[in-house]
Amino acid sequence: MKERIGVYICHCGGNISDYVDVEKVRQAVEHETGVAMARTTVFACSDANQNDMVEDIRTHNLDGVIVASCSPKLHLTTFRNVTERGELNKYTYVHTNIREQASWAHSDDKEGATDKAIRLVKAAIAKSRYAEPLHPNLFEAEKTIAVIGAGIAGMKAAASLADKQTEVLLIEKEHRVGGHTATWGPLAMSEESGSALTERIYNDLLRRENVTIMNGTEVISSKGSIGNFTLKVRKRPLKEGDPVETAEFTVGSVVVATGFDSYQPKEGEFGFAQSDNVITLPDFRHLIDHAEGKELIYNGKKIRNIAYIYCVGSRQTNGENSYCSRFCCTSAIHASILAKKRFGKINNYHLNRGIRTYGKQELLYAESLALGDLYLQWAEETPPAVVTEGKKTTITLRDILSANRDLELEADLVVLVTGMVPRADNKVGTLFKLPKGRDRFFNEVHMKLRPVETVIDGVTIAGSCQGPKNISESVNSALSAATKSYSLISKGTLETEPIVAEVNSDLCSWCGKCAEACPFDAILQQEVGGKMVAVVNNSVCKGCGMCAPVCPPDAINLINYSSEEIMSMIDALA
Amino acid sequence: MNEEKKIIHYDALVVGGGIAGGEAALNLANSGYRVLLVEKERSLGGKMILLSKVFPTLDCSACITTPKVSEIARHKNITIFTESEVTTIDKRSENDFVAQITKKPRYVHVEDCTACQLCEQACPVSVRDEYQQGLIGRKAAFIPFSIANPKAAAIDIENCTLCGACEKVCPTHCIDFTMQPEQFELHARTVVMATGFNLFDPLEIPRYGYGQHKNVITSMQMEREIAPTRPFNTILRPGDGKVPDKIAYVLCAGSRDASVGNPICSQICCMYSIKQAQLLMGALPMADVTIYYINIRSFGKGFEEFYQQAKGMGVSFVKGKIGTIKEKENGNLILRYEDISEGVVKEAEHDMVVLSVGVKSNPDAGKIFPQGALKLDPHRFVAQTDLMGSPAKTSIDGVFVAGTASAPMDIPDSILSAGSASSEAISYIKQHQEA
Ligand SMILES: Cc1cc2nc3c(=O)[nH]c(=O)nc-3n(C[C@H](O)[C@H](O)[C@H](O)COP(=O)(O)OP(=O)(O)OC[C@H]3O[C@@H](n4cnc5c(N)ncnc54)[C@H](O)[C@@H]3O)c2cc1C
Ligand code: SF4
Ligand code: SF4
Repeated sequence: MKERIGVYICHCGGNISDYVDVEKVRQAVEHETGVAMARTTVFACSDANQNDMVEDIRTHNLDGVIVASCSPKLHLTTFRNVTERGELNKYTYVHTNIREQASWAHSDDKEGATDKAIRLVKAAIAKSRYAEPLHPNLFEAEKTIAVIGAGIAGMKAAASLADKQTEVLLIEKEHRVGGHTATWGPLAMSEESGSALTERIYNDLLRRENVTIMNGTEVISSKGSIGNFTLKVRKRPLKEGDPVETAEFTVGSVVVATGFDSYQPKEGEFGFAQSDNVITLPDFRHLIDHAEGKELIYNGKKIRNIAYIYCVGSRQTNGENSYCSRFCCTSAIHASILAKKRFGKINNYHLNRGIRTYGKQELLYAESLALGDLYLQWAEETPPAVVTEGKKTTITLRDILSANRDLELEADLVVLVTGMVPRADNKVGTLFKLPKGRDRFFNEVHMKLRPVETVIDGVTIAGSCQGPKNISESVNSALSAATKSYSLISKGTLETEPIVAEVNSDLCSWCGKCAEACPFDAILQQEVGGKMVAVVNNSVCKGCGMCAPVCPPDAINLINYSSEEIMSMIDALA
Repeated sequence: MNEEKKIIHYDALVVGGGIAGGEAALNLANSGYRVLLVEKERSLGGKMILLSKVFPTLDCSACITTPKVSEIARHKNITIFTESEVTTIDKRSENDFVAQITKKPRYVHVEDCTACQLCEQACPVSVRDEYQQGLIGRKAAFIPFSIANPKAAAIDIENCTLCGACEKVCPTHCIDFTMQPEQFELHARTVVMATGFNLFDPLEIPRYGYGQHKNVITSMQMEREIAPTRPFNTILRPGDGKVPDKIAYVLCAGSRDASVGNPICSQICCMYSIKQAQLLMGALPMADVTIYYINIRSFGKGFEEFYQQAKGMGVSFVKGKIGTIKEKENGNLILRYEDISEGVVKEAEHDMVVLSVGVKSNPDAGKIFPQGALKLDPHRFVAQTDLMGSPAKTSIDGVFVAGTASAPMDIPDSILSAGSASSEAISYIKQHQEA
């Protein structure tokens, strides 16, 4: 039982103290049983306060520490580490959230917020008194890393890992590598073509002995967790009749770089699939990349007037894809400049929703304006109408830039500037249980603090599978993911949280309910002492507690959440 | 001047201790390399540590920066020099980058200072507080800001009158006017340049009236007014302390404007303005906020949704370029602009105007290397010589660039760029390891 607990109540700048009277909280808890000292602090997480805490642990001989501050998602680890620096067992640290749960939730009721904060801190004190020291599970990590997807991001991640003397498996489901980039001609903001760039990087990979490139290969199952993922892969037959080969590999970490799909317009969306004159941006790129001669010919017709309709499949305020696809304004303008420069006599009309050539890409927009391209802007409520009669395609729109005038223009070719959507094939996401964001792309743990990590330990995300990105942004993200995966396992030994479920095998008689409830497949059926029981795989269990309440004989306990701890917390809250 | 030059060895030199430099240093250190992180200011954290909340998640910036900074400061593989200048870096071989570093005296022994602030109270000299963007004053003996790292007093020797008042009250006797600049010669195997960006100086556009009209402020000043460590307890206009109720934002101030020599888009100002507008709507529920823009560039993950959310909260968006800003006798401001959707020139009155100043390059990066060795782009950012294949590479093999030193970018992109630079730096060290 802890007798000398130190309690810190954080102002969080004003995030907490604007609504919660932190001094009142301090006074309310300082004489609670077991509390040796209680303090308020402006920023508990600041270096200065962390140092003070370590000092306090020593001088006040504390045996337990509580910080009442923000969400444990943000700072549980921070303060556990402080506790450890003060030479206490870090798992005895108790965190309580009075920012999201008291201050922000009750910003309309300061007294109520303060009262709730007091109860939360008292509950934390009750828990802290019973907190037992725990020790992390240590195990050896496999040092090979798998990269799934060999587009530009996957190839760069593999190269970067190989540079760090790591064995790499680069797994690509297509029979060729390079993803979308390999199919592009000249790239915006670069002198190189997409195909030359991918070839350069591919050749660089071929020179490395520690990269195994497996194309035409799909991952069909994954077992285990950080340090020891067992991946089963299947080689797709090149032609019918070839044997289907499967193989198994063990890797320590996985970089997912499965990329994106191009948005496919629906039939009738801006005249798509109703007229041959309406094509998508990728189609247009292929057309100009492969066109020969001095004229741009499409379907046997000379092309003079091209209308580009922007944001197709993106920025749908009330639709499926509410996000901006980020790359497409620049990409469309770049393609339009290419067309104009190569084929002459081309008139470009850009029917946009506000051009987003951010950063240095702005210079492309300026160049296009200088070339005499016309920009018209429409609002989401009044989209342009595309009508084809015979060979003639006419577009009508209300142009914001000319005081909302209704305009009509004729185009030989209509290019739908289609955005990025998440891969329809989500096998990899399902295998690793990767969570998705509102935009349905894979989600990172924290956009700023942990942008390439996922909640699945050991699985990082690179490139556009996390959200729309251009090539150079994808490469930055790929190298970040590679570094993260590398640093996770390069030390060889890994620690996992000791806060896991524990099965009392005397009580268990294997009904399988817990295994069904577990979202992480951490529960296995095993024979122990002559009968079948449930066994928890400690390195997979996340301590979420889903299993405990469904167990009919109450055989499952969650370490660190003993009945004593929970009951005394409930008493304190009441 | 202390004549003795100390010779030191590290695996990597990181120049600049903003979020990009800090992240790069951490990645290197976590992979087992010893890093020297050199920052010219008195605290780590760059611009980010001074921000209010960050788009599009509205996380409190201090709450995510301070622990990161604390992790950097405590890392056993990282040594930090603040108030230090890298004067030159010379590449002697693939493995040997030699940097000359001057560590300026702080006149306070940081290890002994308890940040009790007694010196601050004793000091008779008041000057503008640069960390609060000049909104309030500070003393010549002062703690830079409450979440600065290191958190210790410093003496601003340029403004100090050497009266000795601080020295007398300091309980730990850590103030020491005899401190001298220290010289170091560093040998490192790789270099990461993370020297960040400068804000556009709005005095370059006189028609906006910054510096003349009292209630025209910059976005960085507004950032301070709404930060948790804000200078005042509320939001107020500097002219007369009135709480504003009709606030205007002027986007692209000094960006996308060839007439001030900056034709590129700054990439962050649309979003931080939308963020500030949302925070203002929360803090001053009765206030009107209008954003005057050319295009809204909400292109990142969750950004477009954040923009739509601002519209839903009642922030007005007016597509129009501001011609001039005039001041009325009561301190209010008259904005003359072309309303693009109506095609007419209009005037609007606001009681406070925020200039969403853009991102300019920091010329320091180019100056550190011998004449022209580190190539800059036309905007004087560090040139990325393989933008598509290896965005962190520069014209010098073994020198990598992280964050806004190479181009305007927001925090998530700065962090990814730092990840990329540190990855390349680790690969470079591994490849040039002496057998
Ligand atoms: C008003 C405003 C609001 C913003 N809001 C947001 C937001 O909400 N969300 C978001 O994502 N982004 C926001 N940003 C952008 C964000 O500030 C930048 O993306 C980020 O700070 C870039 O980090 P950096 O490390 O590259 O540069 P900096 O923060 O500029 O850091 C560079 C560091 O290097 C140091 N340095 C410079 N030269 C030298 C030298 N020669 N020697 C040693 N050290 C040197 C500097 O002192 C500084 O500490 C905002 C920016 C502004 C101006
Ligand atoms: S980048 Fe441009 S075209 Fe693409 S979705 Fe965004 S605004 Fe629309
Ligand atoms: S981000 Fe927005 S405000 Fe900033 S320069 Fe670009 S368009 Fe202008």
